[in-house]
Amino acid sequence: MRGWISTGIRLPLAALAVALAAYPLILGNAYSFRLATLAGIYALLAIGYQLIFGYAGALSLAQGCFFGIGAYVSAILASRLGWSFLLSFPLSLAAPVALAAVVALPVLRLESHYLALATLGVAQVALLAAVNWQGLTGGANGIAGIPPIAVFGARVPDGWPLMLVVWLFAAAGAFLAWHLMRGLYGRMFHLMRENDIAATALGIDRARLRLAAFLFSALYAGAAGALYAHSVGVISPGVLEFPVMVTCLAMAVIGGSARVSGAILGAVLLVHLPEWFRVLDNSYLIAYGAALLVVIIVAPWGVIGAVERLRARLLPELPPEPPAPRMTTLRAHAGSGGAPLLEVEGLAIAFGGLRALDGITFSVRPGELLGLIGPNGSGKTTLVNVVSGLYRPSAGRIRFAGQDITDTAAYRRARLGLARSFQSTSLVPEMTALDSVALGRAALEGTGLASALASGWRCAHLARARGHAMALLDALGIAAFAERRCGELPHGIKRRVEIARALALEPRLLILDEPAAGLGTGEAADLRGRLQRLAQGGLTLLIIEHNMPFLMPLAERMICLDDGRLIAEGKPAEIRGHPRVIEAYLGRTAWAGVRE
Amino acid sequence: MSEPLLVLQGLSVAYGGIAALEEVTLTVAQGEAVALLGANGAGKSTLVKAVMGLVAPSAGRMRFAGVDLRHLSTLARARLGLGYCPEGRRVFPGLSVRENLEVAARVDKTTRRRRLDAVLAVFPALAARADARAWQLSGGQQQMLALGRALMGQPRLLLLDEPSLGLSPILADELLEKVREIAKAGTAVLLAEQNAAKALAVAGRAYLLEVGRVVREGASAVLAESAEVRKAFLGG
Amino acid sequence: MELLQLVIDGVSLGAAYALVALGFVLVLNATGAVNFAAGDLVMAGGFAAVALAQALPLPGLALLPLVLLLMAALGLVFSGLAYFPLMRRPPTAVFISTIALGVILQNAANAIFGAAPRKAPALLGEHLYHLGGLSIGRQSLAIVAVAAALVLAQHLLFARTQLGRSLRATAQDRETAEALGIPTLRMIALTFMLAAALAGAAGLLLANRYFVEPTRGNELIVSAYMAVVIGGWGSLPGAVLAALLIALFQVIVSAYASYTTATALLYAVLLAVLLLRPKGLFGEAIGRRV
Repeated sequence: MRGWISTGIRLPLAALAVALAAYPLILGNAYSFRLATLAGIYALLAIGYQLIFGYAGALSLAQGCFFGIGAYVSAILASRLGWSFLLSFPLSLAAPVALAAVVALPVLRLESHYLALATLGVAQVALLAAVNWQGLTGGANGIAGIPPIAVFGARVPDGWPLMLVVWLFAAAGAFLAWHLMRGLYGRMFHLMRENDIAATALGIDRARLRLAAFLFSALYAGAAGALYAHSVGVISPGVLEFPVMVTCLAMAVIGGSARVSGAILGAVLLVHLPEWFRVLDNSYLIAYGAALLVVIIVAPWGVIGAVERLRARLLPELPPEPPAPRMTTLRAHAGSGGAPLLEVEGLAIAFGGLRALDGITFSVRPGELLGLIGPNGSGKTTLVNVVSGLYRPSAGRIRFAGQDITDTAAYRRARLGLARSFQSTSLVPEMTALDSVALGRAALEGTGLASALASGWRCAHLARARGHAMALLDALGIAAFAERRCGELPHGIKRRVEIARALALEPRLLILDEPAAGLGTGEAADLRGRLQRLAQGGLTLLIIEHNMPFLMPLAERMICLDDGRLIAEGKPAEIRGHPRVIEAYLGRTAWAGVRE
Repeated sequence: MSEPLLVLQGLSVAYGGIAALEEVTLTVAQGEAVALLGANGAGKSTLVKAVMGLVAPSAGRMRFAGVDLRHLSTLARARLGLGYCPEGRRVFPGLSVRENLEVAARVDKTTRRRRLDAVLAVFPALAARADARAWQLSGGQQQMLALGRALMGQPRLLLLDEPSLGLSPILADELLEKVREIAKAGTAVLLAEQNAAKALAVAGRAYLLEVGRVVREGASAVLAESAEVRKAFLGG
Repeated sequence: MELLQLVIDGVSLGAAYALVALGFVLVLNATGAVNFAAGDLVMAGGFAAVALAQALPLPGLALLPLVLLLMAALGLVFSGLAYFPLMRRPPTAVFISTIALGVILQNAANAIFGAAPRKAPALLGEHLYHLGGLSIGRQSLAIVAVAAALVLAQHLLFARTQLGRSLRATAQDRETAEALGIPTLRMIALTFMLAAALAGAAGLLLANRYFVEPTRGNELIVSAYMAVVIGGWGSLPGAVLAALLIALFQVIVSAYASYTTATALLYAVLLAVLLLRPKGLFGEAIGRRV
């Protein structure tokens, strides 16, 4: 426990929490309790928002709307229908979650600003409904006389008891969010947010993660809204208006996104900001806007991020002891030697009328090491993107391990055992090499919402995945870098971490896109040896490379693309002497003299 | 003899720790055509971009027309007389052919008009489609346009980054023939080309890059006979 | 006859929306940034007109050049705060910075002018022409005329002048434009000024008939954004056309059903368009940044 509290910035955080708790108690007046209560409510709202905005990286603008709906449901049930808190509270959570589930289908498929404005549209409709549906909502006047929180007839009085209850909810919410995100599941979000294509290539189902985050964000907002209605006693359509959303966004960004503690700190800071700047009078939102702008420009990682950076600089921590390696095996190759593992037939794709691939047909046999070459712009990476499922072909079929996967989603192909690496580095700079590789196990471990919720103190999935990852790092000769952040690794090590990550999927076929790019001669030779050993171990490899000295001795067979077409196929020696390959690479005319 | 038009000394460029160019020394004299050969990823594009100020060198010196380029912005370099024809053409797709050319001439209207006519005279295929939007052109025409556009600023040195990329052999021949004409007319040219045979036919001198380093330099006629060039591309 | 009356009202509202959408697309194309404060700039323009009218009791048309100038200056400041410091950061950063600036604008307006709706002077005085059973306000006609003139001016600037070509080249490929000697930073600043001026003009046009209040921008940005999505992301004519359609839809459906229904239906249409035709009804604009 002592070790746990002293890692990261937990000690300053704990101190801050104590100070925050003491502050209203020391002041001891009704007004400071009210502010602290409000801060707790906003903390809950902002923690929920961190899940969709901070962790999933989706700029939803519906959080304020979910808050308002929670508040209205509580107000209507408690004030109009006289329901007890124990009944109305769960419904106040369920209503925004239900709305989120309904709008998620169209909205969550959208990206960045599309998603932002679509969610804003949802919020605008909710606001209009609240103003105009007077019979239910009281129209512009809202609903008054909402009773305080009461359990079995016992009312929670205003002042410090209410503050305590609200902060208990906030603490429970904070714990839940932290628990959800601290293991492999949270790291899946991190990778998805930074590089969704790399996440997909590891078999991570992005849509599912986003949906979970969106529903949870609505759950938290509903709870915050309900607590707000009961604490304040009166609500108006103002709870659905844009300032609530802006306040929540500002809290998340200023506190530090993708940090539960950031949400709490942001909420406490921003609720008290108007107090500290009383000169601004009712225009405190100007201060929010200005603070938001300054933080976005100067410290996009927020206050918590700044503290973490400071701590890392002043008191660098010793990296933790790497875990013991756990043996990983390559997936068994059923019927190897027989039918081809990958069959591509008549594949074509066009971008804006330009045919990038045309009539590509080839196959890869189990256990084979196939090289794919071609000049710049000949369509090599496009071909890999089609095979791995990032692009849909306009014609042709792809079969993998006897199964037609032409219409299979990319993340499912990865789960079938089709792994790939990327030309440019796709690692998350802040993540350690060990965790990056461990993420390759996420699909095999079956990591998801349920397992994250059910996981114990030790995060079994993460521990197991790290064990596997350690074995792979060891196999690639980079175990010493396990606890280093990927951003600080030299290029050659990064490439190996990426290969280790792809291997963690226990693939049947591994496609490497220019693994030797940017490597020195020695590094390249070392990598070649390791790839050769993997191939001997039974792994099937498809390697794209334009470093010929690297590829020629490695490949058993090669295919060459030019201008989107397959122009040659054969053993390396045949390819080297193939007239069309020479023409594609060197041009036609002057080479007659230097042919061997 | 005065200093050559472009002088690179010990130029190194690194992307996130990976060396893309290492200690490259290269000159282009006034009115000279120089080819830059090398396989994919050898560093040709990086070199051209470094001269243009689009990537920052980690070490080395660059001088153009006697001016130290180090602290000059891309904009200032363009105005100093560097003409740039980027890899992948990058014509302005929504502008017409004429507009693509006009926009690159930062001069008064009459001079602009005159240069436009001159460039269209060099590229009759473009003159015929002067009012078409650039995205409607074929790949070859787009490459002509990118070349013509670079000429509109009347550069003293023309930087060409893989102009024959993605063109059919016939179109590539046609294009490089234009480059030869331009060089003959007195504009210095630095031609980065993967298509070694064609580039050597255009340039008087050439440098061969391999993994970011110059491994061979010399007269085109000599390099064209070299098995080393072939090895650089196909791994011997 | 009633429908015709509504169409006239819708076109005049749509003409003002078109200016907002135009400014939004200009910035989008030049920087790839979504300006969330586009609606708040309209609001600022409306209040600028209100304030100017207090000092100078002139018809709106005479105030227009002043509003354009003031708003262009605001656009320059805007770009300096919300865009240039974040140029090399992911688009979300700029999106959030424009949200922040929008909040500042809204609350500054609230502090200066109060929350109540205010009215700007009509462009050429208020007068109703009666034509058969129709009554057409002079203001409606003037709005359409002024908006059309501004759209035309923008079009001519972009299509016919070297400055316009430079602005377009910058929007289509900034790096290449820079390498060809075009001062792209200046072009981007100019684009923000132009966009803010157009938004300001829209503010002046709207603030007479529809009044102006600090929170006005929230609905406007959603309308403008819808116009841009429906018209095809990045397409100028598409945005103008879609803005007209949206306004017509709003006016007509509000008259026969209710404003709430009209807005809700419009959002449903927006979602449907996003889902079924992600490139907009009129197709994607050519010259998207690569």
